[in-house]
Amino acid sequence: MKTLIPLFLLVALIVSCNIKEEPIVISAEELHKAIDKVTEVMIHDIFSPPVASRIYAYPNIAAYEIVALHQSGYNSLVGQVTDLTPIPKPDKPVNYQMAALIAHLDLSKHLIFSEDKIEVYRDSLYSHWEKKNKGDFLDSKEYGLRVSKHIAAWLDKDNYKQTRTMPKFTINTDDASRWQPTPPSYMDGIEPHWSKIRPFVIDSANQFVPAPPPAFSMEEGSDFYNEVMEVYHINKEITAKGDSSEEVAIAQFWDCNPYVSVTRGHLMFATKKITPGAHWLGITKIACQKTASDFDKTVLAYTKTSMAIADGFISCWDEKYRSNLIRPETVINQYIDDSWQPLLQTPPFPEYTSGHSVVSGAAATALTSIFGDEFDFDDDTEVPFGLPIRSFTSFYHAANEAAMSRMYGGIHYRAAVEVGIKQGKDLGNFIVNTLEMKKNESLVSTQ
Amino acid sequence: MIKHLLFILSIMLLGSCGQKQGRLFSNPGPEETGIDFQNTLTPTEDLNILDYLYFYNGGGVAIGDINGDGLPDIFFSGNQVKNKLYLNEGSLKFEDISATSGIEGNSSWNTGAVMGDVNGDGLLDIYVCAVVGINGFYGHNELFINNGDNTFTESSKKYGLDFENFSSTAAFIDYDLDGDLDIYLLNHAVHTQASFGKADIRKNRDPQTGDKLLRNDNGIFTDVSEEAGIYGGVNGYGLGISVADFNQDGYPDLYIGNDFHEDDYFYLNNGDGTFTEQLRTYFGHTSRFSMGNDAADINHDGWPDLLTLDMLPEDETVLKSSDGDDLTQTQNLKVDRYGYHYQFSRNMLFVNQQNKAFTETALLSGVAATDWSWSALLGDYDMDGKQDIFISNGIPKRPNDLDFIKFASSEQIRTKMNNTKLVDQQAFDLMPSGKVHNYIFKGEEGLKFNNESGHWTIKDSLISGATAYADLDNDGDLDLVINNINSTASLYVNKTDDKANYLKLNFKYTDKNKFGIGTKAFSYHKGRLQYKELYTVRGFQASSEPMIHFGYGQEKFIDSIKIVWPNKTYQVLKKVATNQYLTLSPKGTNAFNYDSLKKDTRNIFKRTTDNLGINFTHEEDHYLDVNRQKLIPYQISDRGPAVAIGDLNNDGKKDIFFGGSKYIPSRIFLQKDSTYVETAIPSIAKDSIKEDISAIIADFDKDGLNDLFIGTGGGDFYDQMPPLTDSYYRQEKDTFTEMPLSSYFENAGILREYDFDGDGDLDVFVGNHAVTNDFGKIPNSFLLRNQGGTFSMVPNAELQGAGMITDAVWSDFDGDGIKDLILVGEWMSPKFFRNNNGDLSEHFTLEQAYTGLWQSIVPFDIDRDGTMDYLLGNWGTNTKLSASMKYPLKMYYSDFDNNGSTETILAMAKNGSYYTLDGLDELSSQLVSLRKKFTNYKEFAGKPISEILGEPALQKATLLEVNTLASGYLKNKGGKFTFVPFSTPLQLAPIQAFLEYDFDGDGSTEVLAAGNYFGVKPYHGRFDSFPGALIKAEKDVILGNKIGLDLEHKSARHLKIIYMGEKPFLLVTYNNDRSQVYALENNNN
Repeated sequence: MKTLIPLFLLVALIVSCNIKEEPIVISAEELHKAIDKVTEVMIHDIFSPPVASRIYAYPNIAAYEIVALHQSGYNSLVGQVTDLTPIPKPDKPVNYQMAALIAHLDLSKHLIFSEDKIEVYRDSLYSHWEKKNKGDFLDSKEYGLRVSKHIAAWLDKDNYKQTRTMPKFTINTDDASRWQPTPPSYMDGIEPHWSKIRPFVIDSANQFVPAPPPAFSMEEGSDFYNEVMEVYHINKEITAKGDSSEEVAIAQFWDCNPYVSVTRGHLMFATKKITPGAHWLGITKIACQKTASDFDKTVLAYTKTSMAIADGFISCWDEKYRSNLIRPETVINQYIDDSWQPLLQTPPFPEYTSGHSVVSGAAATALTSIFGDEFDFDDDTEVPFGLPIRSFTSFYHAANEAAMSRMYGGIHYRAAVEVGIKQGKDLGNFIVNTLEMKKNESLVSTQ
Repeated sequence: MIKHLLFILSIMLLGSCGQKQGRLFSNPGPEETGIDFQNTLTPTEDLNILDYLYFYNGGGVAIGDINGDGLPDIFFSGNQVKNKLYLNEGSLKFEDISATSGIEGNSSWNTGAVMGDVNGDGLLDIYVCAVVGINGFYGHNELFINNGDNTFTESSKKYGLDFENFSSTAAFIDYDLDGDLDIYLLNHAVHTQASFGKADIRKNRDPQTGDKLLRNDNGIFTDVSEEAGIYGGVNGYGLGISVADFNQDGYPDLYIGNDFHEDDYFYLNNGDGTFTEQLRTYFGHTSRFSMGNDAADINHDGWPDLLTLDMLPEDETVLKSSDGDDLTQTQNLKVDRYGYHYQFSRNMLFVNQQNKAFTETALLSGVAATDWSWSALLGDYDMDGKQDIFISNGIPKRPNDLDFIKFASSEQIRTKMNNTKLVDQQAFDLMPSGKVHNYIFKGEEGLKFNNESGHWTIKDSLISGATAYADLDNDGDLDLVINNINSTASLYVNKTDDKANYLKLNFKYTDKNKFGIGTKAFSYHKGRLQYKELYTVRGFQASSEPMIHFGYGQEKFIDSIKIVWPNKTYQVLKKVATNQYLTLSPKGTNAFNYDSLKKDTRNIFKRTTDNLGINFTHEEDHYLDVNRQKLIPYQISDRGPAVAIGDLNNDGKKDIFFGGSKYIPSRIFLQKDSTYVETAIPSIAKDSIKEDISAIIADFDKDGLNDLFIGTGGGDFYDQMPPLTDSYYRQEKDTFTEMPLSSYFENAGILREYDFDGDGDLDVFVGNHAVTNDFGKIPNSFLLRNQGGTFSMVPNAELQGAGMITDAVWSDFDGDGIKDLILVGEWMSPKFFRNNNGDLSEHFTLEQAYTGLWQSIVPFDIDRDGTMDYLLGNWGTNTKLSASMKYPLKMYYSDFDNNGSTETILAMAKNGSYYTLDGLDELSSQLVSLRKKFTNYKEFAGKPISEILGEPALQKATLLEVNTLASGYLKNKGGKFTFVPFSTPLQLAPIQAFLEYDFDGDGSTEVLAAGNYFGVKPYHGRFDSFPGALIKAEKDVILGNKIGLDLEHKSARHLKIIYMGEKPFLLVTYNNDRSQVYALENNNN
């Protein structure tokens, strides 16, 4: 009897293993879900738009490099992206898509604050995979984490850590043109040293320096004055039209402000939304789903778009803290109407150029290069935040609307919007033309 | 047996429950007293804290004898519940006569309630305020006129008092001294876009939110706010009001406490029916979220002092999880650009300086942090002759909880926007409870108060608001009545009873002011003055029994009481027996001379009208240390300017050199025959890039012409940047030529010259203060040997690493006839270097190490025993920093985040554990990894520093300490020195400058001390309250505001004697302000 039991168990084990072992198939949906999860945590933790763009890019690149190592159609970004070195190769065959997703999650966890929230999600995936195919899972996990470590060492040297402790933006209200904190919370200027972050594809933060903004002058008839008055009048018109006007809808749809401070009664709190980068990754998801893109192509789309967005922020922030231009709210309150209030809450950094315009231009260019120009889609990205679906005929259609939304919102002058979207498109085109991610790039573009 | 035990246990349990009393107060319940009023709040979908910001401010309470039976009766107003009136039947039993008395009210949201004899019939009427016109609130302020038969008639319309606006409370004040009672109606704003923005929106009157001054014109109240100079803006969040004659001119003045961003208002009565708001002149800073306040004389000088309440938590966990003060730049923006005054989120105790700026002492006095505070009532609860403080407290939920603000985001709140009650509750539940106990403080000597909460009282967990005092049981002590939210009203019955003696005074005054509102009583016993004014509206949304109460300890008789009536006449009662309730009427009165109160001044100094032509205003540059070194405990960039006195143009007259700050040139004023005249010496002015901290004019090269040596600093330039080098200009034939110095790159603290090697020329000690971008590192200080006009460093490792030097003095402490060197500085103990024929080595002369934030030193025989003592200027004790020998203040210095640059982190002991001074936001602005370690504030708050940073990181760090914050002196006891702290007035702020001179011309010297300092984050406030002081001897110190100096609200750096011909003058030089010249009134040397 005594010997029978272990034997029985062994048999049972073998049998059960035989029954349960099955290949794990990772679909694009699982990547979408992982990115949604990261977005959710970022909303909670409150990351500013530039920082958020960095958090999105690195996990995507990790996943992409694993894909590129395993799929002959895809080129590694080594040599195309600054300072990236080849990821380690697996010791034995792995489920590379699972490894890519594991690396993605691990890096995301590394980059956000509330790790526990990612861990809960990760552990549910892990236990599911482990049940399905323990061997495969453990091998892929070991490899995915190894790649994650490799990418972590790379991102650790992008100057992010150093910029955390650089000087704050110095307010000097003696300079009439200089940006200063805005109501209601008068937050310090965020990320004044973001231009010192290592970019991905562009060679430096100042590769796409936009033309300077109209010179500050409140003399009637000056270009700057006219731009101020335009924002003021647009806002008045919109207010007259009421909350249901198209302009209000557009402004609110593209608000993408991760931290809007609200005072209600005696309470102060924040309404939080996704960042512009997150919105464009939402559009990426829509495009991938609409084209039924497989896992590999989805990784490519996310990677390319998130790098364009991240470089867009670096380029834009370089200009923001070069021109240090004052926001419409400050100027209008001081010179024109002291009770004027923009439709959207003014975000806490200088005005020129418009960040949303730059990254929308860059992201739309990246997406167009993958999915083509004539690509109509219904954008439901903001539905979880109580906003309706908006429909677009192309990525550029969406980008142009996103740019204009900032004027409707009363937080940008025309130059910041128009020059901004051009800055983003130029930068996007550079990225698209520089990167060779598919072996035959032209095939991708015309798809 | 078990049954028996249970029985005993339950008896014990009951017994302990029954002992619901503190040592001074017991709290009988409604079943004993009959007072069952409860201000029950019923939040609805349309009305809750999200919709109306003052949903939790509570109702009012007013006490007075409404039926003339000699027993004070109690009225409560309810926000949503009906008002109630309780007749005092004696023995602390009360009868509810609300239903029959006609006072239940018809407004839907009542606030403050006050009693006063509005129609002058000798019966107390009741005025109940209301909020009307928002959130569906209806009704109006109601005036219940006393019919004399325990019934009342609502008559607000008849009197013109039926306001439909947002009232908090009202106060009775005969501001025009026409004999009848006028009313100040305190209203409050609600948050709208219009209530933000620039401060001067207060000048635009808004009928709903603006305060109103209502003049009594024969029984009709007329709104005279506009002509009387009363602000009535949309940003007046009026919650607190005190009426008192703050400037003792006979006309009552007003202090209005405004919540949120709006400044408080200080209205001085001009005596012609108008007021002038003069907050900035008299107050260097105020509470920020001002709530209730109270005025009474706490320091026995016969002038009313003022306590204003805010919401700074005492508890470490609550403190670190609550939103507090603004960031430095945000506050600067509000002050510089939006026109608001300096406001800090804590209680403030303002001590009246008799027509000079008030000194603010709440931190020193121990009353700064009482959490979510509503009502302050100053009274002598233990009847020992000193004023005590009762503060009511509590909020159901804390809206300033940082986790709520940051993380109760759209997920919870957005749905509320769509009006679902359930989710609203969820958002509500995310806020932690704020049921803080009420505080009581016992008044001690020296402006100190001792927290007796939990001893004198039981620590409650109620939400207490409006509070009033009265002697409910006529036993001579002060009892308290509190209107609570969602709980039965509290009675605090005082048990002092016959353990101490008292006097109660009430008045029968004139026809229209029968209760004698505005009457003053000066009580004298054994040389001690106590002073009270009869104003019933005190604390918050309440009025107290119309009487004046004094405690006298064991005194059976008091020397005299002087009654000053509102009409500026007075009478004196002599040899008054205590333990009486006296009713006084004007009798044998004489005109009162208010000037007789202003006796305590001696003119030693007098501002010159022309400043002797010295038109120098130091301008600090815009550099903010905290923008670069985010955790630096205070600025190192604002220690200038340098000042040096000496003959620069070889005419035998002493001239003045003023250093400039970064990029701002230095300036020179030459003494001429009748004035000083500015001159330019281009070779010196060209070095404007340097920030000058200390300077010496002396003939270093012994050519008969004075030279100039400048120590530069500024804490902005770093590493080996040339502007960090000191400057040495040699004068040769009318020109100054810059001479090379040994190259050292340090931020200067002090230069002191002396011929230490006895070779006949002046050598220089260069004490350096701090290392730019590396605060906490010890800079190098140097002794420079003069050889024929050129300087070389004297190698001396001990001296070089002596510390963060701020001041030094050459003084012969060992009595060998050669001057030795004594150094003081920050995070160090004073260091004595004995000069052994030109060899300097440290000599331990102190009884123990007195590590401090030392700012200044001067030799002075303060105890007049013939041996030299040393006066030391320190940080002072009027600060949030705390330090003791047992629990020193700690500063850890290390590269905590391993990013190649260092940080300093301060930690202070609270109940035996050390906590970081900074909160999570500040710490993680430098140490980002903390954001990952603590993803919310709850996890961070209340944790000691060892858990925040980890023991290994602390072990690795360099530890600097401070065990003494008090300024004081090193008393020479046979060559050994013991530290003796100065008295309270010298601890108000950092002391930066001393000067010994015979200022009063009495033939012996005194030391003048000056200071104040602003280079700290808003969390620390502004050290602006020190008016300077003349120190004549250990116990003979007189404040500068009594002797003609005007040093308040400015940060002094140097005191110097300058001359106009033979005549000496005092030159006071400030950081970022205009220098002042004072004549010495009695010294005509």
